[in-house]
Amino acid sequence: MIKFLNIDSKKLSIILSLVVLLLIFFSFKTEKDFQRFEIEGNAQGTTYKIIYYAKDAKILKSQVDCILLEIDSSMSIYKEYSLINKFNNNAKGVLMDTHFKKVIEKSTVIAKKTNGDFDITVYPLINLWGFGLQKDKFLPDSMMIKSTLLNVGFKYLQIKSDSLIKKNPQVKIDLNGIAQGYSVDLIASFLQKNKVNNFVVELGGELRINGKKENNKKFMIGIEGVKDQDFLPITKYIEIEKGAVTTSGNYRKFYKSEGKIISHLINPHTGYSVNNELISVTVYAKNAITADGFDNAFMVMGLKKALKFIEQNKSIQAYFIFKDKKGNIKDTCSLGFPNIKSIKN
Amino acid sequence: MERRGFIKNTGLLAGGIMVQNKVVQAFSINKQILNVGVIGCGDRGKGLISVMDGLSDFYNVIAICDVLDFRIKETIAKNKREFILYTDYRKLLENNKIDAVIISVTLSDHFEIAKAALLAGKHIYLEKTMTYNIPQALELSNLKLKHPHQILQIGHQYRYVPLYFKVKDMIEKGYLGKVTQIDCRWDRNSTWRRPITDKSLEKAVNWRMYKEYSGGLVAELLSHQIDFINWAFDTHPDEILATGGIDYYKDGRETYDNVQVMLRYNKEGIVGNFGSTLANAHDGYLFKIKGTKGMVSLLMNEGIYYPEKKQEKELKTIDGVTGATKIEWNKEGGIKIDADNSKDGTWYALKDFYDCIIYKKEPTSNIKTGSNTAFCVHLANQSMYNHKIEYWKDYF
Repeated sequence: MIKFLNIDSKKLSIILSLVVLLLIFFSFKTEKDFQRFEIEGNAQGTTYKIIYYAKDAKILKSQVDCILLEIDSSMSIYKEYSLINKFNNNAKGVLMDTHFKKVIEKSTVIAKKTNGDFDITVYPLINLWGFGLQKDKFLPDSMMIKSTLLNVGFKYLQIKSDSLIKKNPQVKIDLNGIAQGYSVDLIASFLQKNKVNNFVVELGGELRINGKKENNKKFMIGIEGVKDQDFLPITKYIEIEKGAVTTSGNYRKFYKSEGKIISHLINPHTGYSVNNELISVTVYAKNAITADGFDNAFMVMGLKKALKFIEQNKSIQAYFIFKDKKGNIKDTCSLGFPNIKSIKN
Repeated sequence: MERRGFIKNTGLLAGGIMVQNKVVQAFSINKQILNVGVIGCGDRGKGLISVMDGLSDFYNVIAICDVLDFRIKETIAKNKREFILYTDYRKLLENNKIDAVIISVTLSDHFEIAKAALLAGKHIYLEKTMTYNIPQALELSNLKLKHPHQILQIGHQYRYVPLYFKVKDMIEKGYLGKVTQIDCRWDRNSTWRRPITDKSLEKAVNWRMYKEYSGGLVAELLSHQIDFINWAFDTHPDEILATGGIDYYKDGRETYDNVQVMLRYNKEGIVGNFGSTLANAHDGYLFKIKGTKGMVSLLMNEGIYYPEKKQEKELKTIDGVTGATKIEWNKEGGIKIDADNSKDGTWYALKDFYDCIIYKKEPTSNIKTGSNTAFCVHLANQSMYNHKIEYWKDYF
């Protein structure tokens, strides 16, 4: 080789030294290129946190806040001026903006795929049970539920070009079950557009992950357990290089009325609060809008049906915490769910 | 239950009689309401009545007793209802309708009344500190052995909040590592003296000021934290060194207004520092348990875990959490300990007192833990007043 290149040993040693020096230089450079940055803030009635690795602070908090504000203006029922409120408060429909359209389209896909177990038109029922803007916590009677159900169903929505049209003037939608996932995806693609490819974006417990952290380690994502004896909320975690993780559960947002537990998850078919064995579902999918849409649907389905659904739709995987018939809290997951590890204390 | 005069529900239910009163309503959900007599209607006694009124599915306070007329009047006025009234606790104990008694009287009277209540067959919720001195604690313990079916719970209510159970659990699970130091304070900037209109009532009202009746700040305040440590570590101190004085309120009181107690736990290798002053309120209630892995800082109903640097690094390896909450670090590097704090300790303590009676359970604050704490308080006061180190005795 040396002879072939006609290089004497002195020259070779110089070249080798240069190579070593260059390697050292690049290794330093790589480390410097790979600094951890964190951005935290408040949005959509919850908190968000972004961890990313880059040479320097490429992403500003103000940019992220701007994206989230844009989504709020489009899809938050808590903003009076929002597009969603315009839709809910008129009888015909609205002209959709880009965000709204993407979320509506995805919602329709998931609704069809789950036979309506996920349905954004559930909003009148959510209000009826006191989880919407109207906070009166009284128990609706069966007649009220029956008449409200008449206006629930994604079949009452029609997408025509950029318009969302009401086929039933009473239909109202709630995108809370999916907009957070979409927001997380939007921030993730904003990071990627800025050539940031190693990150965790988290908003209200919904996450999107890409790449790795320092020392080539995978990001560790904790899964919140149901309140147990441990003071730390997190005892289990998964390691992910790419994808999204979201959780839906009925162990936080609920109230008790006349001895019954009324959770914020309402079954769009029956009109009643979801009351099956599931306590929470954590979904792993390629993006957060998908995971976020399906986590609610799985809660409505119940364990058996959800596991069956996953068998036929392997791009979505899930981890379930549930109560068995004796009332013991147990957990299980679908075969393709990332390996669950325990945090050693 | 079957032993004594609890209201029987079977006849009423079988007959299907619908009578609109509290008792029958309770039967419909198959709960038994205990008739309670409260002996001692000072602030604590009145407070306990209020909490029991809130637990009306479990308790019905039917009788009250106090040697001071105005206390009886205050209690009636506060609760806006009638009670069977007694000025002599022995008469109250003779009332067969009463299943359980609350004893919330001057510390020096705890023993005599608790003894009489045991002999009268009542279940007892006895305010802390269990007894005024060691001989009384020993005698009451011996007597309790002869009454195994009666519940005797000691009113160290603060450790009944779920947070304190959780901290005990954290200690057992090793979250704190090896604990070596405990820092406790319970400070106020107030006299502790109650106003009186009639000078002859001075000792009856302000009994906490007089050694003859009271164990002072150690018995009234620090005993709670001392009791928690005894219970949480299942231990007792071996050496007790205490000091103090009447350093600010030189108003004729005998018990000290400024005290510091040092407890040495040999087996656990822990030093406990328990202090209280009536002349500065800045620290208020402070309770820190310090171990090699972390420290827990406790308030009455709130706790923060501060991991040591190494532990903190481990906990922060998680990059994100899916679910409704995540570990929230405060500015000082602590994590809030999550526990239900919707009720205060007295509510949980009284709820448990009921469960102990109905389900024949031993209270977590029982004659044994109560005795240990009473020993600690007595030894601390001995040490303080006699200027010498006191030692735990084998016969305790």
